[in-house]
Amino acid sequence: MRDGQVRLPRIFRTTPFRLTLLFLALFAAAASAFLAYIYVATAGEAARRTDQDILREMRSLAAAYERAGVDAVNQSLIERAASERPFLYLLMSRDGRRISGSIEQSPVEHFTGRPAWTTFQVSDTVEGRAVQRPARGLQERLSGGEILFVGADVAEDEAYVVKVVRALWGAGALVILLGLAGGVLVSRNVSRSVGALTGVVGAVRGGDLGARAPVRGSRDEFDELAAGLNEMLDRLERSMAGHRHAGDAIAHDLRSPLTRLRARLETAYMDVEAGRGNPTEALSQALEDTDGVLKTFQAVLAIARLQAAGAAPDATIFDLAELAADVAELYEPTCEEKGLEFGSELTRGMLVRANRDFVAQALANILDNAVKYTPPGGAVMLRVRRRASGEVEASVTDTGPGVPDGDRARVVERFVRLENSRNAPGAGLGLSLVAAVAEAHSGRLELDEGPGKVGEMGPGLRVALVLPGAT
Amino acid sequence: MRILIVEDDREAAEAMERGLAEAGFACVRAADGVEGLDAARADAFDVMIVDRMMPRMDGVALVETLRREGNATPVLFLSALGEVGDRVTGLQAGGDDYLVKPYAFAELIARVEALARRRETGSVQTLLRVGDLEMDLIARAVRRQGKDIDLQPREFQLLEFLMRHAGQSVTRTMLLEKVWEYHFDPQTNVIDVHVSRLRSKIDKGFDRPMLQTVRGAGYRLDA
Repeated sequence: MRDGQVRLPRIFRTTPFRLTLLFLALFAAAASAFLAYIYVATAGEAARRTDQDILREMRSLAAAYERAGVDAVNQSLIERAASERPFLYLLMSRDGRRISGSIEQSPVEHFTGRPAWTTFQVSDTVEGRAVQRPARGLQERLSGGEILFVGADVAEDEAYVVKVVRALWGAGALVILLGLAGGVLVSRNVSRSVGALTGVVGAVRGGDLGARAPVRGSRDEFDELAAGLNEMLDRLERSMAGHRHAGDAIAHDLRSPLTRLRARLETAYMDVEAGRGNPTEALSQALEDTDGVLKTFQAVLAIARLQAAGAAPDATIFDLAELAADVAELYEPTCEEKGLEFGSELTRGMLVRANRDFVAQALANILDNAVKYTPPGGAVMLRVRRRASGEVEASVTDTGPGVPDGDRARVVERFVRLENSRNAPGAGLGLSLVAAVAEAHSGRLELDEGPGKVGEMGPGLRVALVLPGAT
Repeated sequence: MRILIVEDDREAAEAMERGLAEAGFACVRAADGVEGLDAARADAFDVMIVDRMMPRMDGVALVETLRREGNATPVLFLSALGEVGDRVTGLQAGGDDYLVKPYAFAELIARVEALARRRETGSVQTLLRVGDLEMDLIARAVRRQGKDIDLQPREFQLLEFLMRHAGQSVTRTMLLEKVWEYHFDPQTNVIDVHVSRLRSKIDKGFDRPMLQTVRGAGYRLDA
């Protein structure tokens, strides 16, 4: 408020107000031009016509004077005073004395001899009352030296002009009203649209990520903006949820292994202090445990990142069969070592667009599980083929104990390990990562029963990573 | 062997220095990218260990600058960023290897040794020889004491890597990265099985085993 700076009330700073003002100004400017034209074309025209009439009358009388002298003019004046157009006349001598005419005295003061136009008042009697009426006249010196004045009553013209001006004022007021109404209408519309968007932005800023702008279906720019804003918020919300979920998951997932590590260290410490344990052994055990925690952390982080990103980074197009062959080669000796029969059926040219490392890790995890849970003498089969749907599938079928129907959805969750696999190594993250990889590539993870019971074996498990085929 | 450690975490740098000193390396420490750049310009090193994220000048900028200046010292990047894209950025900037924090000392030392050694054998070799073991890289043939050893393609690659790093410890992760080119940890010890297969082929029937298991680290091929 200091420095003479006046803060306008809020309303004056709003877009609707400014828009209305602009609308009004535009309307008023257009209307002024319009009305000015109408004025010139009507009232102005009337005044011009009167002047022309007076001039014509003057010429005609001057011509009569040239032809027949003062007496003829005098005669004419008497005749014309009775004609339809009530001109006012005054014929004066060379020195300005009245000779004849319908008025007593010339309204022209200080006549120089040159033609002189004047506007004046004439007295008249209407219904016994004296009234002043507006008039206009021209005074000229005739060639013989006499002075002639011709005037005309313009009361009617004036009345007409007044009517026109009044009409114009009315029109002006109407225009301003219309402009105001139009401005308010337009700006209210704009302000409502903007207000809705501002409301959403405010709500989001306030922490409500679920707020959405109304889309009215009018398909105008505001609708487009609202739709865009909503889409942006959808993405943001998904991403935020992903990150929050990732954070929660990491916190949750690391708590238990860290708790275990701490407990072991504490026990080892007590043992060493009591002289029961071997410090080197305790430390080496602690290191091993730490590595386990780190491994878990890396796996959880990879899963969380994939889930949060919602898409696989650095995707390239490659042959899934080729990659599967590579990974199979990695696992083949392990299968042999464990006494498992390992086979593969790989149809070449199964192109997918994916992150090679993540898919390799997913395949490794699936094979890892198969090798881990299939007892010696069993078989592991790796297949890569195209489905009728066009999707590309990499599947691993084993003859292990399988996963009961009811547990299949559960084993994909993080850290879930079925009762009878508690003793096998691993943290229960393998299939969760596969699922995350599948999801990040718009694919899916499928778990089915394997080849069924064969003697002691089976029924086995079939795990399939299904990815959209790349063209 | 002289190592330049460019790492802003003092405690980590000191621990690294101790570990490397124990393995027989002499170390110089720099606390940030600018200090690292000065040190690298002033002196010759066999290997530089460079942290990626540092104040004043990050590791990638440091290595890029050095490479532009014609400095070809092998660089091992250390980073808490373990994404594939980060690794690629590091290697593209001129890094020679990439190790994600936290790491085991054995892993760090094995990689530093590998980098330092790589420099010594600059020329392209067609014949590798470690003790009585011979590898002909053109004929793709392996012989020990004159006896032919038949290897699968992957076993051949594995042995080639071990022979190129003979006398040094190589970790399982290194083998997985350099021989298989995978950047993840398989849960089961698939690498061990591959190594034991290779071992049975090159050591079985010979009086002295060459392929040693290094406890807590990995493997080593001795002459």
